[in-house]
Amino acid sequence: MRNLWAQTGNYRTNYQQDTTIFASYREVVSLAVLLLGLLALPQFLSRSNVYVLDLILVYGIAVLGLNITTGYAGLINIGQAAFMGVGAYTAALLAPNLPFLLAIPLGGLVAAGVGAVVGIPSLRVKHLYLALATLAFQEIFVWTVGHAPLLKQGGAVEVPTGSFLGYAVGFRNHYHFWYYVILVFLVILAVAWRNLLRTRYGRALIAVRDNDRAADAMGMDPGRTKLMAFALGAFYAGIAGGIYAYLARAVVIEDFMLASSVKFLAMAIVGGLGTLVGSFLGPAFMQLLDLNMETLSNFIRSLGFNTSGVDIASALKPLTFGLVIVLFLMFEPRGLYNWWRLIRSYFRTWPFKY
Amino acid sequence: MQYFLQLVISGIVVGSIYALAALGFVLIYKASRVINFAHGQYIAIGAFSAYFFATGPKLPFVVSAFLALVLTAFLGFLTERIFLKKLVGQPIISVIMVTIGLASVLDGLMHLTPFGASNYTFPKFLPQGGVNLLGLQLDYAQLLAVAFTVLFLVLFSLFFQRSTLGIAMRAVADDQMASLSLGVSVEKMFALAWAAAGLTAAASGLVVGTIAGLNLGALTSIGLKVFPAVILGGLDSISGAVVGGLLIGVLEKLAEGYLDALVPGGGTSYVFPFVILLVVLWFKPHGLFGTEEIERV
Repeated sequence: MRNLWAQTGNYRTNYQQDTTIFASYREVVSLAVLLLGLLALPQFLSRSNVYVLDLILVYGIAVLGLNITTGYAGLINIGQAAFMGVGAYTAALLAPNLPFLLAIPLGGLVAAGVGAVVGIPSLRVKHLYLALATLAFQEIFVWTVGHAPLLKQGGAVEVPTGSFLGYAVGFRNHYHFWYYVILVFLVILAVAWRNLLRTRYGRALIAVRDNDRAADAMGMDPGRTKLMAFALGAFYAGIAGGIYAYLARAVVIEDFMLASSVKFLAMAIVGGLGTLVGSFLGPAFMQLLDLNMETLSNFIRSLGFNTSGVDIASALKPLTFGLVIVLFLMFEPRGLYNWWRLIRSYFRTWPFKY
Repeated sequence: MQYFLQLVISGIVVGSIYALAALGFVLIYKASRVINFAHGQYIAIGAFSAYFFATGPKLPFVVSAFLALVLTAFLGFLTERIFLKKLVGQPIISVIMVTIGLASVLDGLMHLTPFGASNYTFPKFLPQGGVNLLGLQLDYAQLLAVAFTVLFLVLFSLFFQRSTLGIAMRAVADDQMASLSLGVSVEKMFALAWAAAGLTAAASGLVVGTIAGLNLGALTSIGLKVFPAVILGGLDSISGAVVGGLLIGVLEKLAEGYLDALVPGGGTSYVFPFVILLVVLWFKPHGLFGTEEIERV
C-alpha cells in the first residue's frame, strides 16, 4: 500500500518509483509552501532585514558550490571567496554593456574556467596539497586585483543597476528587487545541485571521494572528476559573486579575502557538509551570529567597559566565530542539518516514536 | 653584486624565521598528519608574552623570552590534549577546520588585550650598531636572529639524533604501528610534537619581534608564509623545512629587490612565495626532500 500523503519510510519498490524526486505529496506541498513563504517574506521585513536575507541567500549559493567541491568530492577548498571574486569582477566589468541576466552567468563561467585551472594539481596530488593550492590561489588573486589598474587596485569598482523590463530599480526597492532575482537563481541552482547526484557525473564525484583507486578501476577518471568538481564549485561561487556585485553596487577586494573563504568553509561545516538544507542553515547561522556579536559589543561598550586600545567588536567576532567552528566539529560534526533531520523525523512519525 | 649579496643576506635573515616556524609545522605534520593553521597565532602569542613579561613585571629580557618559550610550548601541548586528541580518525577537513577555528579564537583573545591594535617593540637589550661583513652592514639584531636560529636547529637535531624521546618521536613519525608494538606511547609523542611546535613558533616570534617589532597582523601572517616553505622543502622533511624556509626567504627578498621596480605598486615579496607554492605543486608536488606517496592497489 503506497499512501502518498503519509509515509513513515522509503517504500519504493520498483525503478520507476525510485526515479521520482518526491516520495510523498507532503514533500511537494511543503516545498510549495516554503517557496510561497520565501516569495512573500520581504513584504513583512524592513529594508535592512531584506538586505541581511539577501546576503544569507547569496552566501548560500557560494556554500552550495563549496558543498560540491568539499562536500561531494572531498577536496578542501580554501579559495571559494576568490572564485566568488572572479565572478564579481567579471560581472562588474560586463555590467555597463550587458544586462545582468547575461553578466551574472558569464561571471560564473569565467570562475568555472579559473576553478579548473586551480584544480590542475589535483591530477597529481591529493588532500592537503590541494588545500594549499587553493590557499595559494586565494592569496595570488587578492594580490593581483590589488595591483590591477583596471580593477582600481582593489578599490570600489562601481556596478550600475539600471532597470529591468521597464521596472526602474532605485534606492528604495533595490534590495527587494535583488531578493527576487536571487531567489530565481537560487531555485535553478538548488534544483541543479540536487539533481547532480542523480547523474553519472555527480555519482562519480562521491565515488572518487570515497575511494579514488576503486573509482579508477571502475572506469572513472579521478583527475578529470576532481577538475570538474572544482569547476562546478567555482561556477556556483562565480554566480554568487556576480549577484553580490550587483547587490552591493560596488566590488571591493575586502569582500573576497582569505577570511571570507574561511567563513564559507565554516558555514558549510556548521550547516552540515554536503547537504542542501545545511547550505542555507549555515550561512544564516553565521550571519546572524556576526550581527548579534555587533549588537552585543555595542551593548558592552555602552555599559562602560571601554579599555583604551581594545576594540570589543573585533575581539568578539573572531572569538565566537572560531568557537562555533570548534564546538560544532567536536560535538556535532554533522552540523545543523542533523538537528533539522531529527526535528523532521520527529514530526513525520508523530504521534509515534518511530 | 653588492646589491645581490645584500639581498641574499637579508633573505637569509628572513628565511631563518621561516625555517624556525616551518620546523614546528613539519614536526606536527610528521607526527600526526595535521596541518596547523594556527601556527601564526602561536608565533604571535610567543612574541607578545615575551613582551608582556619584559614590560609588566620588568623581568630581564632573557628570562622573559625563556618564559615565553615555555608558555607557548605548554599552550601547544594543551591544544593537542583538549582539541586534537578528540579528532583522531576524523576526516582531514575536520582537523584542518579545528585549527582554523582555533586560530580565530586565539585572534579574538589577543584582540581582547591591548596587543591587538597597535605596534610594540621589545625593550632594548642589544647595543646599537652592527658589524661590517665583507662590506655589508648587518645589525646586531639580525646577527642574533641568525645565531638564535642556528642554535635552535642544532639543539633540535641533537634532540632527534641523541635523546630517547627524540628517537621515539622519529619512530612514531615513521611507523605508528611498529612504534606502538615496541612500547612507544604514540599519544604522548603527538602531544610532545605540538609542544615542540609551540616552542619553535615562540622562538620565531621572538626573532621577528627583535628584528621588526611586534604587530599582530604581521606576526600571524608568518603562519601563512610557512606553507610555501614547507611545500618547497617537502611537507614531511625536517631538513626540508629548514632549506625551504631559507630558500623562500632569499627568493622573497630577491623578488623584492629585482621585481618590485617592474610591478606598479610593488609588494612582490608578499605574493612571490605563493607563486612558488603553486609552481612546486604543479611540477614537483612532494617538494625537494619530501617522500613521494606511491599508491598500490
